[in-house]
Amino acid sequence: MSENILEIKDLVVHFETDDGCVKAINGLTLSVGKEKTLGLVGETGAGKTTTALSILNLVPSPPGVIKGGSIELDGKDVLQMSDKELEHMRGNDVAMIFQDPMTALNPVLTVGEQIAESIMLHEHIPMKDAFERAKEMLKMVGIAEGRAYDYPHQFSGGMRQRVVIAIALACQPNFLIADEPTTALDVTIQAQVLDLMKDLINKNHMSMLLITHDLGVVAEVCNDVAVMYAGRIVEIGTTDEVFNSTRHPYTEGLFDSLPNLKEQGEELVPIKGMMPDPMRLPEGCTFAPRCPYATEACTQTVPELRQVGGTHYVACHAYDDPSFRLRRNANG
Amino acid sequence: MSEMSKAVSTENLNEYKGRSLAQETWRRLLKNKGAVVGMIFMVLLLILALSGDFLYDYDTEIIGMNMSEARLAPSAEHFFGTDQLGRDVFSRIVYGTRYSLIIGVGSVAVGLIVGLITGSLAGFYGGMWDQLVMRANDILYSIPNIMLAVVIVQVLGTSVLSLVIALSISSATSFAKITRAAVMTIRGQEYVESAYAMGLPTWKIILRHIIPNCLSPIIVQVTLAIGSNIIAASSLSFLGVGVPIPTPEWGTMLSDGRQFIRSEPWMCVFPGIAIMLTVLALNLMGDGLRDALDPKLKR
Repeated sequence: MSENILEIKDLVVHFETDDGCVKAINGLTLSVGKEKTLGLVGETGAGKTTTALSILNLVPSPPGVIKGGSIELDGKDVLQMSDKELEHMRGNDVAMIFQDPMTALNPVLTVGEQIAESIMLHEHIPMKDAFERAKEMLKMVGIAEGRAYDYPHQFSGGMRQRVVIAIALACQPNFLIADEPTTALDVTIQAQVLDLMKDLINKNHMSMLLITHDLGVVAEVCNDVAVMYAGRIVEIGTTDEVFNSTRHPYTEGLFDSLPNLKEQGEELVPIKGMMPDPMRLPEGCTFAPRCPYATEACTQTVPELRQVGGTHYVACHAYDDPSFRLRRNANG
Repeated sequence: MSEMSKAVSTENLNEYKGRSLAQETWRRLLKNKGAVVGMIFMVLLLILALSGDFLYDYDTEIIGMNMSEARLAPSAEHFFGTDQLGRDVFSRIVYGTRYSLIIGVGSVAVGLIVGLITGSLAGFYGGMWDQLVMRANDILYSIPNIMLAVVIVQVLGTSVLSLVIALSISSATSFAKITRAAVMTIRGQEYVESAYAMGLPTWKIILRHIIPNCLSPIIVQVTLAIGSNIIAASSLSFLGVGVPIPTPEWGTMLSDGRQFIRSEPWMCVFPGIAIMLTVLALNLMGDGLRDALDPKLKR
């Protein structure tokens, strides 16, 4: 228990709009170990970003409502914190890296000022000292110190993402949330930024929740993987377990829709259908309408996470039958 | 590795002179001829306004009557002629600069502060605040500005201060609208969210991250509003509810001279030209700023 820095239990987040209730997260349970990196994988709209914002208690409200559950960060429940505690926690204990470096920086402040701002706020030191620290941070992410006086529009996308990382790490948080940090970057820069993040996380003994829809990124960076679908975790385990002995049909679908370099010319198999409308989630297993293995039982009740290996859990009714195997595993 | 990055850093320092948005805007503003002419004219006016007291003695030269020199045509001695009471029109126009500028700038300043605060609250919090501020604005908007100003001046008494207050109300409504619209677009930006994730308190986010990014349309509106408020002030003075006589306010001078417009037109023409040029200069500046601040016109 104490080995986990983040423990989310049965989190339910809904957005109550005039048109109806958008069920973004429906009983999500996951944990991130100390000095571990968990990859949170899922399609657009699966609720990944909402999960991230919930951890900081920043779900836009209204219309967002956290209906239930708990989010324990280092043993303290984020959802019970006062505004003051929250402001202290954000940036200091937990930092977040946003998806698009083009819009995550304020265009009217120099990057040095933006890094210094967070240091000044949390460590109560004068602007001048904070600015010196900001320069060090820039050096750490591989940007020349002198560029602290430059404005965001003078940086390229990859450089900006480095600046965003510098801002996030400025106060040495022990937990980092990275919301698709490399999605907006091209592949060569992606590799650089990922390497940098991996390095810094190891060096500073941090834990990270890496949100992405890129399974390649997960394989490179993460210790553990959680696969998310329609606001629930459908499969969770170590990267090795999830990649090499995939259990959930949805995870299998994700792998099948990836191009494979070894077997060129093979056709990609996209997952049938679309993500369900979060306003009208189907009864039972939310993946059932798209699932090639779905049976009658799948439309009746929501499957619970069950243990299928050391730290490997999957939420699928098919495993009621002990002989059940995914095609992917049966062939290979 | 560290040595290398050090070398790079000093090199970079010489190479990149960090150019802020303000510097960039200034550079582009200087390329616009109209804006430069407008700015030079405004600087001259400012110097005139500040030096009026050193050039002329208010009691004798500005409001002192000299009937022996009444209604003289423009000449080398009286550049713009004299009025019906023998006062030099040129010195009165020079001295009057300050009133126009004080009223124009003062009313816009007050309006800006009020508009900025109410507008950003409405834009940021939305909901009830938004309804409250915007409906109050609609009410003020539905009354013609001049009518509203006349009523306010009548209630407060004719003075420069009451003119400033009267005109600031109509400016405040337009500033509130512009600020609200700008804040609503900025508050959804990712860097605002990221500022929250950094743990910044809301007031700091509004002051440091949102308002500075809303300034472009507001700056443009400031220059244009100063111009229109100078006209409004002169109109009120012309109607007799502005700055009282014998103060040499341009609108008052226009009003004084209008009965002599057929025989001694300089009494009206020169104050009129002064108003026109000032407003023209401000509008040129405003247009120049608008172009300079528009990122789409970046060259």
